[in-house]
Amino acid sequence: MPLLETRDLTRLFGGLAAVNRVDLTVDEGEIVGLIGPNGAGKTTCFNLLSGFLRPTRGSIAFDGRDITGLRAHQIAARGLVRTFQLTTLFQEMTALENVLAGLHLHSGKGPRQVLFSRRDFPADEIARGRDVLEFTGLASHADQLSRNLPHGHQRVLGIAMALAARPRLLLLDEPVTGMNLDESGRVMDLVKTIRSRGTTILLVEHNMKAVMGTCERIVVLNFGQKLAEGTPTEVSTSPQVIQAYLGTGVGHA
Amino acid sequence: MRRRIGVALVLVALVALALLVPPFGGDYYVHIFALVFTNVILAASLRPSLTCGQLNIGHSAFMSVGAYTSALLAKNLAVPFEISLLCGALLATVVGLAIGYPSLRLRGVYFAMVTVAFVEVIRLIAQLWVPLTRGMSGLSGIPKPSVLGMTLTTRASQYHLVLVLMLVILVVLWKLEHSRLGLIWKSIGMADNLAQSLGVNIARYKLMAFMLGCFFAGVAGAFYAHFIRFLFPPEFGFLMATNILVYNYVGGRGHFVGPIVGAVFLSLLSEPFRGSPYETIFFSIAMLLTILFLPGGLITLPRKLAELRSWRTASAPTPSPAA
Repeated sequence: MPLLETRDLTRLFGGLAAVNRVDLTVDEGEIVGLIGPNGAGKTTCFNLLSGFLRPTRGSIAFDGRDITGLRAHQIAARGLVRTFQLTTLFQEMTALENVLAGLHLHSGKGPRQVLFSRRDFPADEIARGRDVLEFTGLASHADQLSRNLPHGHQRVLGIAMALAARPRLLLLDEPVTGMNLDESGRVMDLVKTIRSRGTTILLVEHNMKAVMGTCERIVVLNFGQKLAEGTPTEVSTSPQVIQAYLGTGVGHA
Repeated sequence: MRRRIGVALVLVALVALALLVPPFGGDYYVHIFALVFTNVILAASLRPSLTCGQLNIGHSAFMSVGAYTSALLAKNLAVPFEISLLCGALLATVVGLAIGYPSLRLRGVYFAMVTVAFVEVIRLIAQLWVPLTRGMSGLSGIPKPSVLGMTLTTRASQYHLVLVLMLVILVVLWKLEHSRLGLIWKSIGMADNLAQSLGVNIARYKLMAFMLGCFFAGVAGAFYAHFIRFLFPPEFGFLMATNILVYNYVGGRGHFVGPIVGAVFLSLLSEPFRGSPYETIFFSIAMLLTILFLPGGLITLPRKLAELRSWRTASAPTPSPAA
């Protein structure tokens, strides 16, 4: 049974099908890349999977259970956690506090427990938060305000927060965009380490070198539809994919 | 530790100072400070909502609901003050739920527009439902507040009542802001999509913040009704609503004391203009000056002054600006 499975996933914006009848599966333990030219529907796809948008048609199953139409926080609570394309952080909190927020917020505490709990984090939570920072290589920046971190570190912090929420499936939206070769190499290594620790990964990325070097399987979207699927070699040699990227003639719609 | 003792001392001194107003200030100052404290309750109770990123320009509507409910219950049905106050606050909360729930998905300006419209709706109801509220003739003959069956006839005793109400409410709000709930509010205000993706039910927590504010605005309204003993619909209009917001921004959004400082400072300074057209001008100028020179609000003034001083000692001495 796949960890994530979509059937006929469709989202219309007015008359435009941003995502059109996409069947997508991700198995436990995989690193899957979702690629495609600009406007192919990758981010819409992520928004559908993470509950920020509702599908017009089709279904999403996570871990064998239907999660179609659940709210974002409910999906996150089930272990499907995403990061954001643009750097999205709690800007006025320190790096450690950001991670602690990730640790705490997913804990499924109801308002009543929240109301009667102290804000000071217990030592074990702080230790766990520091572990996550250590693991992602941000330990030395723990007490800096997140908005003062360099761009690369901010992106990694985004991943660290998602990790703190203990995902089973991590959706990474353009994790290495805007990074230099060195930084992006390190982030992709981090992604592999995350996977080896048991978290399945689905990522959207434009940096082909990063995608080809990291993903075992790649799904190509074009005009909202699945255009091709396979290993990095299969995909990068597919004439359809080359045509879609180079824009020669009319793309398959 | 020393810092904590310092804070405690300042708080004790402030409360002592507040207690000195009735014996030394006379009824005029007692009256004014009672209204200042009402404004403090209103400003502070708006803070949770603002922290969540909800621009609520309709707080006075909930004050109005609390005021009219409590006044009418006490006047027409002889309900004791404690109960009528509670009913007013609860009805304000329920109305808050009714208005807050459907508008939760709205953000920023759109949410603000709903709250502005709501202020007008409540004002018009108070104005047009003449058999109940007396409309534009105003509702008079509201009984004085009472506690445990004892009517608080003197201005001083009513002043002590609102002082206690304010202190209790501030302690509750302080506790909430420094609990995990406060952290969640803060995280929603900073990046709601991120909070959501980490598992926070943002709709629920925003609604909680909003309704909490409505409850305390209702309390403030109820006290106001029994203190002034005359209710006039336009008093709770758009002007009052923006004033509550301005207290928060002029005082400063960055710290719990911001709205308190803002409310005290502005209500005292605007006292000479109360009810005149100059009041609006005064508040506009206060807001403008703050945005231009102290974007962090009055609470950042000491830091700003320290910066200026260090800058001045570093460079050539310049004549000091007018105080």
